[in-house]
Amino acid sequence: MNIPQIVEAVLFASDAPLTPDEIARADRRLDEDQVEEALQILRAEYDDAQRAFHLTEIAGGYQLLTRPEYAPYLERFDNVPRPNRLSGPSLETLAIIAYRQPIGRIEIEYIRGVNSSGVIRTLQDRNLIDIVGRGEGLGRPLLYGTTQRFEEHFGFTSLDDLPRPDELPIILKDRIPLQEIEEEPPDTPDFPENVPDEESDDAISEPSFDSTV
Amino acid sequence: MDLRFAEGAIVRDDFFLVEIDRFQGPLDLLLHLIRSQDIDVFDIPVARITDQFLKAIEELDAEDLDSAGEFLETAATLIRIKAQMLLPREGDEIDEDPRAELVRRLLEYEQIREISQRMRVAEADRARRFSKGFIPARPKLTYQETPLETNWTDVLSSALALEMPTPSQRAHRVTPRTISMQEKVALILDRLQDRSGIEFTSLIKDFGDTMHGVMTLLAGLELTRRRVLFLRQSRPFSELWLYRREEEEDLGLGLEGVEVDS
Repeated sequence: MNIPQIVEAVLFASDAPLTPDEIARADRRLDEDQVEEALQILRAEYDDAQRAFHLTEIAGGYQLLTRPEYAPYLERFDNVPRPNRLSGPSLETLAIIAYRQPIGRIEIEYIRGVNSSGVIRTLQDRNLIDIVGRGEGLGRPLLYGTTQRFEEHFGFTSLDDLPRPDELPIILKDRIPLQEIEEEPPDTPDFPENVPDEESDDAISEPSFDSTV
Repeated sequence: MDLRFAEGAIVRDDFFLVEIDRFQGPLDLLLHLIRSQDIDVFDIPVARITDQFLKAIEELDAEDLDSAGEFLETAATLIRIKAQMLLPREGDEIDEDPRAELVRRLLEYEQIREISQRMRVAEADRARRFSKGFIPARPKLTYQETPLETNWTDVLSSALALEMPTPSQRAHRVTPRTISMQEKVALILDRLQDRSGIEFTSLIKDFGDTMHGVMTLLAGLELTRRRVLFLRQSRPFSELWLYRREEEEDLGLGLEGVEVDS
């Protein structure tokens, strides 16, 4: 059984990132450790041979992606889709959701200072965010979180790749918990795995690292 | 968005020119006023900033109520803070600066903006790496799946294109069919002898009578049923094409093989 070749075949045929667990399904005798080992072999092979693509860790999985230096050649083809760049409001809203998930619309709008329902709908249509639950309080508002597609779009391996608040030039102290401002506590008993870190002194709580998809 | 700090405003003493459209909301504008004048965000001169803010939103589009409302709400907050600083109410805690919550929101917003700019960079990096299948296969359009939908514009234009003859006599009269389908079958097969496909309109354009059109269509359908032809129409009311069924040719389905019951 040529494990690296099997893993390579699966990766080659896939157009989305695959986890070692998913790759291991190719054969009953394969386990995740063998896949991981094979992935390392392949990665080294591609780097040694200076292939035009490399094994990229993205959105919690692995995917074969072309190296950025070849982008100009690929972009010359008409049928290469222009990368869909997000608008400023979309990016802002996504940033808030990424750091504060699960979060409701009202809280997002309070942070941005503008109505955000249209942007939220667009992001949802593009599968970058999804409803992950309902909050407490009046009308049990919908709560949003980022999807795997979000990580893929930005090339993040996981939410750990988001800039950490302490890396940023602006650091905030004395955060007023949002519960005191509005009727919507961000932590929901329905989704205990996503309860934001209440101890955090940072203005923006650390991203919760669970995939909410 | 990234250039805003560089060229957002012309500052000259108290004269302040701001293009309101380039701001994503009141917090964005407020931050710009503060940052572009090197104001200490923890000690905002509320009176001055409020005046500048109000001046900046004068050009707001009054018809866009939603966005105007958002700016006005912030303006109201500024005015309230200004009043509170001038005349602290009795119940107010002495050490609570009325500006505190606004400052917190501003800094929080600034941080989100910084993060979103970094995400924009990550997005651009990712866009330079292509996965397999970056050229999505064009979905094969199967004719069965073409939705049978149309709109009145299409119906009308098709109707006009038909140049319907106005009926000259209203009386109903039973007349024998003057055109046989056999004739039309022969016509179609004849026209398709040296080509694989033909437009329906070219088959009927020499005749003009509605009955010729009906019989030609019936002949086409009959030949299709007998697997001599196949018909294609890419969307409702577009040109109908009749194609010879190549694989059936060797079965000898010429005119003589087709029996038409007319």
